[in-house]
Amino acid sequence: MAGVGCSVRGYFLPLRVARNVVKGSICCLFQQQVRGAKHLNYPRLRNPIWFVRKERTKYEEHLTPENKSFIQEVIHDKYGPPTVIGGISTYKQSPLKLQPMERGSWFPGCRRTGVIARKIGIYPMWLKDGTRVLTTLLQVLDNHVIRYIPPEEFHPPRTSVRNPKSKQQLGCLLVGAESADPQTFTKEYCGLFKDSGVMPTKILGRFLISPEAAVQPGTPLYASHFKPGDYVDVRGKTVYRGFQGVMTRWGFKGGPASHGVTKTHRRPGNIGAGGGKARVWPGQKMPGHMGNRYRILYGLEVLRVNTKYNVIWVKGPAVAGETNSTVYIYDTRLPLRKLKETPHFPTYYPEDDDPLPDDIYSENLHPFTAPTITYEENA
Amino acid sequence: MNQADVSKLMSRLRIKYKPVRRRLKNPEGAEGRLKKIRKTLTALLKHERIELNYNRADETRGYAERLISDAIRYGDCHRATMELADYWILEKQLIHKLFKVLVPRFDNCPVSYTRMYRAPRPCPGMYYKRAVLELRGNPYPPLLPDMTANRNLIHNVLLDEAQKEFRAQKYAEIAKKLEAADDNVIKSIDDGDEESSSAESSGEDETNVLGEAQVQQPGEKVVHPSQNMQ
Amino acid sequence: MALWCRGVQRILVDVRPIFSLFQTIGNTEYSSLSSVSRPEGLGSDEAKEAKTVEGHKPIVPLECRFVYPEFLPDPRLDHRNSLREKLERMDMLNRRAHIDIPEFYVGSILAVTSSNSHAPEKSSRFVGICIQRGGCGLRASFILRNVIDHQGVEMFYEMYSPVVQKIEVLRLEKRLDNELLYLRDALPEYSTFQLDMEPEFLPEGAPVPVNPIKVKLKPRPWLERWERQELKGVQDLGLPERFYKRAAEVARPWEKYDLMKEYRASIPAEEQEEIFVEVYSQLQQLEVMRKKMKRRRTFVRPKKMG
Repeated sequence: MAGVGCSVRGYFLPLRVARNVVKGSICCLFQQQVRGAKHLNYPRLRNPIWFVRKERTKYEEHLTPENKSFIQEVIHDKYGPPTVIGGISTYKQSPLKLQPMERGSWFPGCRRTGVIARKIGIYPMWLKDGTRVLTTLLQVLDNHVIRYIPPEEFHPPRTSVRNPKSKQQLGCLLVGAESADPQTFTKEYCGLFKDSGVMPTKILGRFLISPEAAVQPGTPLYASHFKPGDYVDVRGKTVYRGFQGVMTRWGFKGGPASHGVTKTHRRPGNIGAGGGKARVWPGQKMPGHMGNRYRILYGLEVLRVNTKYNVIWVKGPAVAGETNSTVYIYDTRLPLRKLKETPHFPTYYPEDDDPLPDDIYSENLHPFTAPTITYEENA
Repeated sequence: MNQADVSKLMSRLRIKYKPVRRRLKNPEGAEGRLKKIRKTLTALLKHERIELNYNRADETRGYAERLISDAIRYGDCHRATMELADYWILEKQLIHKLFKVLVPRFDNCPVSYTRMYRAPRPCPGMYYKRAVLELRGNPYPPLLPDMTANRNLIHNVLLDEAQKEFRAQKYAEIAKKLEAADDNVIKSIDDGDEESSSAESSGEDETNVLGEAQVQQPGEKVVHPSQNMQ
Repeated sequence: MALWCRGVQRILVDVRPIFSLFQTIGNTEYSSLSSVSRPEGLGSDEAKEAKTVEGHKPIVPLECRFVYPEFLPDPRLDHRNSLREKLERMDMLNRRAHIDIPEFYVGSILAVTSSNSHAPEKSSRFVGICIQRGGCGLRASFILRNVIDHQGVEMFYEMYSPVVQKIEVLRLEKRLDNELLYLRDALPEYSTFQLDMEPEFLPEGAPVPVNPIKVKLKPRPWLERWERQELKGVQDLGLPERFYKRAAEVARPWEKYDLMKEYRASIPAEEQEEIFVEVYSQLQQLEVMRKKMKRRRTFVRPKKMG
């Protein structure tokens, strides 16, 4: 096993291995003699607890129509009748199951939960000074808090690189979106939702939050979690473009179309000099797979919120992903655009406040209900 | 963002189609693609059920649906539609079939006019997926087995029993609730108005708690067999 | 320049009686005009072109699709989302409550007044012929073209921009083509319009006239190869034979038979009906209000003259 006189990392290793032994999941690599901790191939990524098989194999069951309706009846009896909330068909969920949690109070630097949304398109809006801005519409799906894991119990797969011994500061909040028929999921997956009393959801995501911002499982999250004027980060999966050449992937110029050029219209050209180097530097821009990876767009301004259909308008057309793809929205991490005033904390509760208007606009946005913009003459 | 072309009205298709066409690789390019589809479409109208490669079947399906829906919408006296039929149908006697047989057959059809099944392919064999494409209402025997007599399948029998149990429990619950309500009414008459409200609410709560516990049991029972069947 | 303009006016005035014969051409005819050209032959009754499905009567007149094409969404399947389209339509109606966007077509002559912080009176007015209409939803736009001081000028306007103060239709008519981009290569007299043009009113309920004018293009070089496009509103191009040969080589006559391509570029009739049922009553109210305003305006005018 790893030597005693190793670095901090080496000191840490046996613990990990021991834990693996206890779990009974040690792989045969560890039984070999390993010299030097550097090359020890321990599993860096542990799957979180909610990584279970989700979809079950579907096949024709040949149920009678009565039995089909009976199963639906039992589902509706358990989880509530189907309804449409914000343009999405879902189920009227049962009331909260667990004991109510204490609500914390907000402080600067506190991390709230985010929401899971769907990118539904892009269209222009105009600011009060007549500038045209493209806005991305993000529809918050029927989000429900599934589980809260406090920092003491939460062991994220990656630890801090600088200080691996540092204590976990943030808790983890599991949020589900889009309730669906439990018959489509495996038993293990449905088990994740048992405690919260929420119907199994198609999408399950996690947000790291301060312990003060914990939300009780079963609570629905709405678009009004954010206020117009806030800044958010949006994480989405970029459009998959497959294997692409350097012109598409990196925007290279390619070669000339004519003037005696053959077979060199879209090629990258030189990829590095010879000489003492005699190799290609890592990170050289080359053809390859493009897209289909998670990317975060930081610091987008929320311009408008529709509380009736749960839609958020953010500034900018560049949110990652296709139309109708899923994105994760949370308060921005950019230090200068962080929240300065108290937001809805830990989230927006419709029963607490007066009902909000259907459309809430940012201060500098021109609502379409307002009259035409005119400029005043300066004397 | 393109404006929709409004010059021609067309009926909505009842099938799913891809946002982008398949190229159906061939040396003649886009025209060759249409020629390929034309052959398949003619064969479909002629034989009413054909087996072919999946991609080609799926491409042809959209064209067949569109041709039939246009024939229904505009009829055989419409010049443009007749030209379309003339282009798409290679064997000209089938044009009569389109307007005289298929249009009456599908006139009030609420679903798609064609059906497509995935067909098995020999292994080891060609890599391409196969499909069976057919017109609805064709004279051949159905491809899928008739499962209308499925009442005696074991999970259906079990579910029937579970349903009976579930109903019985529900009725018992309702009866209990009614009884409790009656008791409350009698009590309230006896005790007076002031205490009645509190008694009523507590009684309801109890029944609710009981009800939930009872309801969940059969629900779990029901879900288990179908999951074990996997 | 003034002389030029007068010349153009005269030419158009001369033309007007000729195409007044064509005033009976209605919207249904327009549909057949704008659709892909069909070869002659296979003759059948033209009157039956407009036959719709029996037993089903649309609640709203489907002719709205020509008047309000921007209410139909982008037909691209992977960009569609019903909720987004609905929100967009709601915003469009909200904007239409503040600005009267009249019925107009490619070929109509419009005057647009818009706020402009750099203009002397903080607003500017432009008169020109609409040479292109495009975009759907809130992106709907059009291009106006005019020749000012011997210089061709084109202005791109977004219909739903809150900066636009007023859109007036000075002459409501259609042309033979769906796009008049070839006016850029035509002689300047075809796109010259006086800035103080008086609006011409059509009688109530009259069909929109189609102007059958054929423009004369300048000699090559052009911005596009116009001989390869099937243009109806252009005089003989006068090119050597090889240009037409090449055009015939690269033509794609089979595209008009591509049923799925056609379908992917349009919105089906049932869906159009759903959309217009949603917005029609409000549009109708706005229309009535506009007519009232118009009547008032026409009533005021003789007073001024007197």
